[in-house]
Amino acid sequence: MMSLQTRLLLAASLVLLVFVGLCGAGLETAFRQAALDAQENRMRGMVYALLGAAEPDETGQLELNDGDLPEPRLMRHDSGLEAAVYDETGTVLWRSPSQAGSLPLVIGPEVGKWKLERLGDAGRFALAFGLRWLVADDNRPQRYTMLVLEDAGGYEEQLAVFRRTLWSWLGAVAAALLAALVLVLRWGLQPMRRLVGELRSVEAGEQGQIDAPYPQELTPLTGALNAMIRHERSQLQRYRNALGDLAHSLKTPLAVLRGLAGDARLSGDTQRQLDEQVGRMQQIADHQLSRAATAGRRALAQPVAVQPIAARLAAALHKVYADKGLAFDLEVATRLMARVDSGDLHEILGNTLDNAAKWARSRVRLHATRAASTLELAVEDDGPGFPAEPERLLERGVRADSRVPGQGLGLAAVVEILRAYEGEIVLERSAELGGARVLLRIPGA
Amino acid sequence: MRALVIEDDPDLRALVAKYFTDEGFVVDSAADGEQGLYMATEYPLDLAVVDLGLPKLSGVDIVKRARKKGCSYPILILTARDGWESKVAGLEAGADDYVVKPFHKEELMARARALLRRTGGWAKSALESGPVVLDTAAKRVTLNGSAVDLTAYEYRLLEYLLLHAGRVVSKSTLTEHLYAEDMERDSNVIEVFVRRLRTKLDPDESLHPIETLRGQGYRWTLPRTPPA
Repeated sequence: MMSLQTRLLLAASLVLLVFVGLCGAGLETAFRQAALDAQENRMRGMVYALLGAAEPDETGQLELNDGDLPEPRLMRHDSGLEAAVYDETGTVLWRSPSQAGSLPLVIGPEVGKWKLERLGDAGRFALAFGLRWLVADDNRPQRYTMLVLEDAGGYEEQLAVFRRTLWSWLGAVAAALLAALVLVLRWGLQPMRRLVGELRSVEAGEQGQIDAPYPQELTPLTGALNAMIRHERSQLQRYRNALGDLAHSLKTPLAVLRGLAGDARLSGDTQRQLDEQVGRMQQIADHQLSRAATAGRRALAQPVAVQPIAARLAAALHKVYADKGLAFDLEVATRLMARVDSGDLHEILGNTLDNAAKWARSRVRLHATRAASTLELAVEDDGPGFPAEPERLLERGVRADSRVPGQGLGLAAVVEILRAYEGEIVLERSAELGGARVLLRIPGA
Repeated sequence: MRALVIEDDPDLRALVAKYFTDEGFVVDSAADGEQGLYMATEYPLDLAVVDLGLPKLSGVDIVKRARKKGCSYPILILTARDGWESKVAGLEAGADDYVVKPFHKEELMARARALLRRTGGWAKSALESGPVVLDTAAKRVTLNGSAVDLTAYEYRLLEYLLLHAGRVVSKSTLTEHLYAEDMERDSNVIEVFVRRLRTKLDPDESLHPIETLRGQGYRWTLPRTPPA
């Protein structure tokens, strides 16, 4: 789809073009008319001057003496100015010395009327004037037509100069207007561009919400966007709280059931069966709840700093495994941010670190880096390492050693969350610590 | 040992209380956060088990406030969902360990005993002090490798003294921590039990494991092996 700027620019250019075109055409017409009027006036002046110079001859006919001509151009051949006098029948009575070629056949205008024509042949103007010549002692007036011809070259030249000037100025104005328009558009659309940039940053997790001030036309939009971002985040929190409540109200009776299963009055068989069923229910609940609580990749997720979460978890696990006096080496840069939901990162790191702490003799190491856009979390320990088929551990409910208390869900839950992020998990031997190494890769985080 | 159980579900509360009573604990229980906090701060406790999801006052708040008021006994939290954020919040508030519901009796009691041991400065589940070994898991006492036959009360008294080895424990403390409220609190009973313990653990009066400090109480004198 065409961009807003292109649309506006295109539409404005079109309007500008039409406006400049009409404007130029109007101006040109007006100028042409004015030039034509001036031409006619000049030629009328010539007619009057010729009339002034005319004398009646002895027969009472109108006569012009070449020596009395008012304009020297009339004398000069090819001067572009010519004059002629016709009688009633259209016969040429007199022609100016400048007149050389053919004369047009003039259908004279009525007496006292002017007739300006543009002759097609040689680009000349022809002004004809109908007159009646009255000699005092003769009461028979003679009917004449006086014709003045002038070359249209001057007029055309004037017009061409005007046209050149007009259109070059109009062109310059149009170009300047267009340039101004582009600038105005850029300035006017700048808030939109900034908004898009901010949205991208929110999406990329570089900022929490849309912050910059915007023109009042956009504030309802930015307000709504921020509300949406907040809503999305609080929605997840509410959802998780609800899940927590559900878990609590589900697990408490399960705990009671499990306790009752241990009642000595029940037969060993019943006890075992009851306990088994409670275990199954617990696993199903855990599985579904942790799956439901996984946020996964969200467009507007706030990025989280990895280091504080890792440090909190390490401190907590240090307490839980106080007997072992574990040393947690956290090789995590303080500025390392992850585009992973905070709750999900807690689960991912909590479960892997807990798993490592469970098996470690004295050391657990977390190494977190970002290679390109992939977040890599490696958790190592100095315990016995993985059994022969480590992949089995990723299946829900399979424990490496059932003597170690735990839900047997740890790494399987991690796999579940990683799936939501299209990440991967690698179980291997730690080259440095000698125990297990769990490598998690989360692309785009 | 005196334990407090704060759990809003009456059945689970009764069950957990029973677990502890069965192990010889004196148990106080509270059904909501406020009552729980009162007991946690006012009662002479050795251990508290706190559910995280409680009415009126959350488990995390109870732990936080109890710690702020100087309660230093170990606290075990019960969580329903094994979300790490809630576990970490509980542990950061001052709890020492967590147990996820639904738990087995053995798991809960093992954690509780481990916490008590750890608080007393013992590294292993068997408390070894000179020739005396008290196995908290098996609830067995041996002297130079041979079993010593103790009554439940004698066992509890010995366990308490061992967990507080090196420290003076008054008779009233012992009464408070070893006997439920409804029992007759006669300090003479303690004297009788101490005398019997001495006879059973030190038949030839060469060890002198329990020292009497007149007007103050008793002290376990033998060193921990291995020393903590």
